[in-house]
Amino acid sequence: MSNIKEIKNDLLNDSYYKIEHESGLTIFVYPKKDYTSTYAIFGTNYGSIDTAFKTSDSDKFISIPEGTAHFLEHKLFESEELDAFTRYAKTGASANAYTSFDKTCYLFSCSNNFKESLEILLDFVQHPYFTAQTVQKEQGIIGQEIKMYEDVAEWQVLFNLLKALYHKHPVRIDIAGTVESIAEITDKTLYDCYNTFYNLNNMALAVAGNTNVEEVLEIADRLLEKSDNVKVKRPDIDEPKEIVKDYTEEKLSVAMPLFNLGFKETNKEPVRSLKEQICTNILLELIAGETSKLYKELLSKGLINTSFGSEYFYGYGFATTIFGGETKDPKEVAKYIKKEIQKLKENGIDNKDFERVRKMLYGRTIMGYNDVDGLANELVTSCFEGYDKFDDVEVYKSITLKDVEDRLNQQFNENYSALSVILPA
Amino acid sequence: MQNLFNVMELDKGVRICNYKTDRFKTGRVSFNIAVPLGKNASAYAILPYILSRSCGKYSDFSELNSRLAELYGAVVVGSVTKSGESQIIRVSINMVDDRFALDDESIFEKCSELLCDLIFEPNVENGVFNSQDVDREKRFLLEKIESEKNDKRVYALRRCEEIMCEKEAYGLNCYGTTKGVEALTPQSIYEAWKSLLETGVMQINVVGSAGANEKVISEIVKKRLSKFNREHLTSLDTNVIEKANEVKKIEDRLPIKQGKLVMGYRAGITNQSENFGALRVMVDLFGGAPYSKLFMNVREKMSLCYYCSSRLFRQKGIIMVQSGIEEENKEKAIKEINNQLKAMQDGDFNDEDLKSSIAGLTDTLMKVCDTPEGIDAWGYTQITEEKFKSPENLVEEIKSVNCDQVKECAKKVTLDTIYMLSKEEEEK
Repeated sequence: MSNIKEIKNDLLNDSYYKIEHESGLTIFVYPKKDYTSTYAIFGTNYGSIDTAFKTSDSDKFISIPEGTAHFLEHKLFESEELDAFTRYAKTGASANAYTSFDKTCYLFSCSNNFKESLEILLDFVQHPYFTAQTVQKEQGIIGQEIKMYEDVAEWQVLFNLLKALYHKHPVRIDIAGTVESIAEITDKTLYDCYNTFYNLNNMALAVAGNTNVEEVLEIADRLLEKSDNVKVKRPDIDEPKEIVKDYTEEKLSVAMPLFNLGFKETNKEPVRSLKEQICTNILLELIAGETSKLYKELLSKGLINTSFGSEYFYGYGFATTIFGGETKDPKEVAKYIKKEIQKLKENGIDNKDFERVRKMLYGRTIMGYNDVDGLANELVTSCFEGYDKFDDVEVYKSITLKDVEDRLNQQFNENYSALSVILPA
Repeated sequence: MQNLFNVMELDKGVRICNYKTDRFKTGRVSFNIAVPLGKNASAYAILPYILSRSCGKYSDFSELNSRLAELYGAVVVGSVTKSGESQIIRVSINMVDDRFALDDESIFEKCSELLCDLIFEPNVENGVFNSQDVDREKRFLLEKIESEKNDKRVYALRRCEEIMCEKEAYGLNCYGTTKGVEALTPQSIYEAWKSLLETGVMQINVVGSAGANEKVISEIVKKRLSKFNREHLTSLDTNVIEKANEVKKIEDRLPIKQGKLVMGYRAGITNQSENFGALRVMVDLFGGAPYSKLFMNVREKMSLCYYCSSRLFRQKGIIMVQSGIEEENKEKAIKEINNQLKAMQDGDFNDEDLKSSIAGLTDTLMKVCDTPEGIDAWGYTQITEEKFKSPENLVEEIKSVNCDQVKECAKKVTLDTIYMLSKEEEEK
């Protein structure tokens, strides 16, 4: 029997259900009253950083070509008979898929024929069909996808930064791999990876919107095929805390220079807790958000424009804080940001500033609960990272200035930072 | 599915579009003002940015942002777009619903007042905008125009529009021009602001549980507008050209890795609302979805690209096909795209294909009202239409389309411009 738990939040007046299904899959159902549409996402805890793996019933790590997870995502839509897109065409759902550093997800959204579309999703993700011929056809298409990203300056500035920060961690490689690495992929590679990572114990399904537990379970009970209880192990990567180099630049066809300034973190545990993430979000607002002194100063000096921003970039075994945008003088902006962080470390954070930012981010977090797409995606993430989705609102309510100050001192180390710049060609 | 849009004329050229619902955690209000896209484009384009970053009461963006943070992180966004040959100036505010306030304040009311302050009581002294604000926003807008080049897909599409419509207002960029922005002064921007509020066609969209307060909003807006002379409203017409003459071919070169092909077509209609349902289905079957001709052939069968898709710009009556390809495959791709249009014109699709397209388009339309942003966008894109249509109205139109109508639509489509963005030659 499957175990069903209701998780409630009084403030939001919302509930979702977490189901440990007997097949091994974790299922989330988040009904949204009065919504017309439903969004479903079926994901595996497997992404571009998984270039080597070992299962709990074997003792050797196996290496696979860069870009395999993404390649597999493309190919899973095909089957011996009708491919998934052709089947979705009958239901009217919009279907898609994506591969990130540590996840591969298949999704659809619809306002009609939800059950039929969910059947298609559960069916095609559980039934791979790869041949030498179909693998070869995809190499041309993905080759063009890789080329397309080579012209996207925001993408290049990020990967150049990651290559400057990380010696060994596979976060430094492009999600789609390279034209050379994908040429090594065969139908057998795909089957090996599929059989390892697409074990239901390593996956999650989340459905949000115009739906309920009964209809999801009826389909899940019928279509999910029990997986052997095998766990996948990610290798421990011996990533030094030092960076590779502190500056990197490339020329591309852009109007004005683009920069990413990253601070590499060193952590013992590979996964960042929700509290750490939220402390960082507050810090980023305090340091460089639109209400910060630094933002105002950089604007008045003409050093940044509205493209300026920051993000916490983290996943399994990596975590970096990144500031970025367009500027006429990347080195100067980097200097200002580092100086501001130093100042905050020395003088501490003003309690009024902290409260203002906390209230703002608390409001923005609540705003996020409108969106069924975002909710379903976050439920899958929360499952792989091990927290409850509703914790985000609660953490914002309980977090203290001291939590944030502690994080500030631990997180930003100037010696482990690097600047990546794209200059106009 | 129930139509919850409540549309009313507040005054000549001022429409309030109210969507009342409890299902969101947020409320949203947007001001949308349309003027003809023309020689004043740069001055109008800078306005939403100036207006959304300060006002008389909060005279710089830090003060304004602190106020927004106090209002639980309410978000103000200014933007400008074009719809047909109209330029639309937008300022919106998004806020958490009153039920999440930590004390008894009404966030909705305070945010609505703030939005009106931004639009009607800007940071103006002695009849001109603040010169520091103007200098900053001029720089931002100039950099935005320049940076369009960074996204090669957008840039190639813009260039094709510009070349195809060089003798039409539609060829203009909604952000104006570098020269136009450079010439702006605190004075000329003030004149544009006045003219925007005196002559522009307005639509105010309200979404949320507080929509009950549409009367409150109406009163606030009426009071503020009474200070402006709105006797001479502008008229918003778009020149829709039915047929292309000879095909224009233009190639640009930049130091890039992948070529971008854009093919611009005239859709064969003479006004914005003609034959709408059938045209939507035709463009969808041609290149709008994974079951379309372009996806199935140019991408899946020939492996020429990662994307090849078509898009209808209904208000202007044009269709754009875009693809990222290797330069040496250019002629092959053009030939195949033409073949696929020919297939549409020959009626080489069946009832099953038609059903897929109707199902896909209907499904998308019915999702529109599941986000406040979707509702707002639905509302504002109809600012130039006299008769407001709900998504349900369009679903009905699309469901009634048959194969013959789609084929007839395709037959009227003519190729106008082939644009290619290519790699620069290697230096010798």
